[in-house]
Amino acid sequence: MTSEYLYDHLDRAYPRKNLYLKDLAQLQAKDADQSQIKDFISSKAEHPYTSKLNDYKKNEKIFIQEKKKASQEKISQLKVSNDLSYFLIEKFEAEEDLKFYQKYLDLTYDAELGYESALILSTRLDGIISNLEKMEREITELEACTAILDGTDKFNHTFISREDYKASIKELKSKRKEGLISAKALETGRRELKEAYKYSKELRKLEDPEYRLKKEIQSKKHAKSNYVKTSKRLLKDDLAQIRRRVPIEIERKRAYLPWISLPFPGLGQLLNNQKAKALLFFLAGLFIYLVAIPYSLGFANYQGKGLAGLISLAAGGKRTDRSIIFMIEGIIALTLLTLSALIIIFSFLDVKKVNQDRYKGIRTRNWFETRSSILEDGFPYLVSLPAFFVIVFIVIVPIMTTLLLSFANMGPKTQSKFPWIGLANYKLLITGQGLVGSVFWKIFLWTIIWTIGATSLAIFIGFALALLAHNPRIKGKGILRTIYLLPWAVPAFITIMFFSIMFSPGGELSLLLSKLMGRTIDVKNSMIWTRAVLILLQGWLGSSYIFLLSTGVLQAIPDDLYEAAEIDGANSWQRVLKITLPIVLFQTAPLLVNQYTFNFNNFSIIYLFNGGGPFSPLEYGNLAGSSDILISYIYKLTINNQYQSVGAAVSIFISMGLMLIAYLGFRNTKAFKEERL
Amino acid sequence: MIKKRKKDLYLSDRQPLTPLGKFFLALNYFVLISYSLVILWPLSRMVISAFNGKQGRYISLSGKYEFSFKHFEYLFKETLYLTWVKNTLVIAVATAILTILIVSFTGYAYSRFRFKGRKTSLMTIMLLQTIPTFAGITAYFTLHSIISDFFPFITRQMMLIFIYTGGGIAANTFILKGYMDSISTELDDAAMIDGCSYMQIYKLIIMPIVRPMLAIIALWSFIGPFMDYMLPKALLTKPESYTLAAGLYTLMNNRETLNQPAFAAGGLLTALPIVILFIVLQKELISGLAQGSVKG
Repeated sequence: MTSEYLYDHLDRAYPRKNLYLKDLAQLQAKDADQSQIKDFISSKAEHPYTSKLNDYKKNEKIFIQEKKKASQEKISQLKVSNDLSYFLIEKFEAEEDLKFYQKYLDLTYDAELGYESALILSTRLDGIISNLEKMEREITELEACTAILDGTDKFNHTFISREDYKASIKELKSKRKEGLISAKALETGRRELKEAYKYSKELRKLEDPEYRLKKEIQSKKHAKSNYVKTSKRLLKDDLAQIRRRVPIEIERKRAYLPWISLPFPGLGQLLNNQKAKALLFFLAGLFIYLVAIPYSLGFANYQGKGLAGLISLAAGGKRTDRSIIFMIEGIIALTLLTLSALIIIFSFLDVKKVNQDRYKGIRTRNWFETRSSILEDGFPYLVSLPAFFVIVFIVIVPIMTTLLLSFANMGPKTQSKFPWIGLANYKLLITGQGLVGSVFWKIFLWTIIWTIGATSLAIFIGFALALLAHNPRIKGKGILRTIYLLPWAVPAFITIMFFSIMFSPGGELSLLLSKLMGRTIDVKNSMIWTRAVLILLQGWLGSSYIFLLSTGVLQAIPDDLYEAAEIDGANSWQRVLKITLPIVLFQTAPLLVNQYTFNFNNFSIIYLFNGGGPFSPLEYGNLAGSSDILISYIYKLTINNQYQSVGAAVSIFISMGLMLIAYLGFRNTKAFKEERL
Repeated sequence: MIKKRKKDLYLSDRQPLTPLGKFFLALNYFVLISYSLVILWPLSRMVISAFNGKQGRYISLSGKYEFSFKHFEYLFKETLYLTWVKNTLVIAVATAILTILIVSFTGYAYSRFRFKGRKTSLMTIMLLQTIPTFAGITAYFTLHSIISDFFPFITRQMMLIFIYTGGGIAANTFILKGYMDSISTELDDAAMIDGCSYMQIYKLIIMPIVRPMLAIIALWSFIGPFMDYMLPKALLTKPESYTLAAGLYTLMNNRETLNQPAFAAGGLLTALPIVILFIVLQKELISGLAQGSVKG
C-alpha cells in the first residue's frame, strides 16, 4: 500500500511531490474498490504528473550531457593545478545545477536533492577555492624565492651548545649521586634536556635562510595536500547529510530483488545502484562458488569427498583412503558452507532492508556513507576477523572432529576405515564394559580424588604460608618470598622429572622414605605411595602460586579493619577467621576454581612422574596405570593404543563437565552481569 | 650511661611480646624456614648433581662429589639441546607475537564496542576453551597432513604455534578487555571529537596505556611453550623438531639416550632464565593473572 507521506531514517514525515502517487495513496486510503484502483494504475500514463515527470527526466538528461561537455571544455582551458581545477569544475557544475534544478524544485525530490547539493557546494567551494589559491600562491612565491620570510633571521632564543648540554647532564648525575634527586627525576631531567637540545639544534639550523626556505615550502605543501583531502571529505560528508534529509519516491517495491540476489550475492546491490558494495558481495560470491561449493562437492579435496565423505567415511573406497581424513574434510566442507550461508543471508537481508527503506522514502547510502558505516559499525567485526579464523580452524574444527569421532569406531583394528556406531562408545564407558570401559569409573574416581586432594592441599599450604609470612614481626620477607616463588618459576616438567628420578628405586628420596618407615618402600611400584607422593608433589608445586596470590591480597587489606576488630575485642584467631579468610577467598575464588580445573587436566605431573603407573594388569588392564587420570588416559588411548574414538568419547565427557562448571562460574561473574557504557 | 639507657628504651609502636607471643613468633619462623628448606633442598640437589662429575648415566647423590662441567659438555655435544632451545624460542616468540597481534584487536573490540553477538560470542569461546586442547589431538594430526598438502611450507611446529595462539585467544582477550575497561572512555571521546578514527584511537591512546598488560600477555604466551610437555610430545615426531620439554624427557626416559645428570644440567640451564624472569617480574605476572579473573 502506498503511503501518503514519505519518511526519512529518523521517521520524519515529508509530503509527497509525486502527485500521481499521492492520488493513488489517497485513493487507497479511502478504501476504494479494487477495480477503481486498478483503473487508476492502468491509466498512469494519462495522469498529468506523469508527463511532467517524463519531461523533467528528458531535460535532465540533456542538461547533464551539456554540462559534461561544457566542463570538459573548461578543464582544457584552465591552467591551474589539478587540485584547484577539481574544485573549480565542481563549482562550475554546481552553479549550472543550481540554475537547472531550481526550475523543478516542486516537481520531484530528486530535483530538490540536486538543488540542495549544488547549493551547499557552491557556498562551500568559494571559501575552499580562495584558500587553496592563497596557499598555492604562497608556495610559488616561496619557490621563486621572492617572498620574504617574516620574522628576523635571528631567533630570540638562548642556544644550548653541545658542551652546555653535556655539562647539564653531568650536573644532574652528580646531584643524583649526592642523593639530592631520585632516579626517576634523573630520568625525566635527562629526557627534558635532550628535547631542549634537539629543539635548539633545529632552531640553529633554521637560521640558515636556505634551509628555512626549504622547510617552509615543505610544510606549506604538506598543509595544502592535507587541506585538499579534508575539504573533499567534508564536502562528501555534507552531501551525505543532504541525502539523509531529502527523501526518495519510488512506485514499486521490487520485492523480487532480495530473492534474485539469493543465488548471486551482489546482484541485488548492483540493481540498487550500490556498485562498490555489489563488488564486495560479488567477491564473497566468488568464494562461495569457487571455493566452498566445489570443496564440499569433493573437488580439490586432499583425499576425501567433501560433504559426502562425512556420511560414507570412505566406506568402500580405495585401500589408501582413510576415514578420518574423509571425516575432517567433511567438517571443513561443512564449515565453509556455513560461512557461505552466512554471506548469503547477510546479502539477502541487506538488499531487503535497502529496498524497504527506499520504498519508505530513505535514500540508498552511497559508497562514501557505506564505507564510513563499515569502518564504524563494522569495526569490531573487521578487527576480530583474524581471531575468528584462528578459532574456527584451530578450536572449532578439531572439537567438531572429536565430537563426531566419539560417535564412530576408530580403534586399533579399524585405523584406516571405520563406520559410524552411534552412542556405542558412550554406552561402553557408562556401563563400564569392555577393555576400555571397565577402568573408566575407577580412573574417574581417582581423578576426582586427585583433583580435590592435590588442589586443596596446595591452597592450604599456600594460604597458611602467606598468613604466617604476613606477620609484621617477621623479618626477611623478601628472601622468603623469592624462595617460595621457586616451585612456580622452575618449569614444572623439570621439577617433576627430577622428583621422579629421586623417587625411583635407589633414588635419594626413596632411600630417605624407607629409612623413615623402617622398611623398603618402592614408591613407583605401589599404587598408594605413588598416589600419595603425587598429591604431595602437586601441593609442593601449586602452593607457590597460591602463596603469591594470597600475599598480594593480604597486603591490600587495610589495617584499620584489624584495628577496629582488635578494639572490639576480637582475638587474633577470630580476626583471621572473620576478616582475612573471607576477603582472600572472595577475591581469589575464580582463580582457585581455575586451579581445580587445571589439576583435573594436569597431564604433565601424572605422565612425567610415573607414566601413570604402577601398572596392575589384573585391576587396570593394559591400557592404563593405577595413577592415570582421565586426561592421561585419553593420551594413552589416543596416542599409545590408537583407541581414538573411545578417547574422543572420554574427551567429550569431561569437556561437558568442565563446560558446565565454567558456565555456572562465568554466569555469575561481574563481567557478564554488569556492563559498562 | 646514655648508651645503656638507649638500649633499654622500647621504641617500637607495637606492643611488647608476651612469652607466649615470643614462642609463637619462634614457631612461625620455624615453620617458614623449614618450608623454605623443603623447597630449596630438591632444587639444590638438582644443581649439585648437574655439576657432579663422579656420576655415570644415573644420578647418584650419596656418592662422591667432584666439580665438573662434563654433563654440560655432554649436553651440548652429544644431544640436540641447542636445537631444542632454538625450536622452543622460535615457537615461543611466534606465539607471543601472533597472540599480541590478534588479542590487542579483539580486546579493544570487546572493551569499547557494543556489537551484536558480543556477549554470546565471548561466552561461547570462553566455554569452548575450557575443553582441553588435547581433546582435538587426532584432528590436529590429520589437519596437518591436509594443510601441508595445500601449503607444503607449514610444519608441525607451525601447527603448534597456531594451537597455542588459538588456545589463548579467549582468556587473553578477557584479560585485556578487563584492563581496557578500567581506562576511562573520556580519552576516546576526546580523540573522536578531534577526528581520530578507531584505528588511530587504538594506536595513539589505548595502546600506550595498555602496554604493560600487553607485555604481560606476551610474556605468558612466551613462557607457555617452555612449560608444555603434552602437545609437543604428541605432535612432534622427530627429535630434531622437539621443544625443550619433549627433548629433555628423552634424556631421562629413553633407554638409549638416558643420561640423568645431563638432564639435570639441561633443566638447570632452562630453568635459570625463566626463574630470573619470574623473580624480577613477579608483581606484574601475578597482577596479570589476577586481573583477568578477579575483574572477569
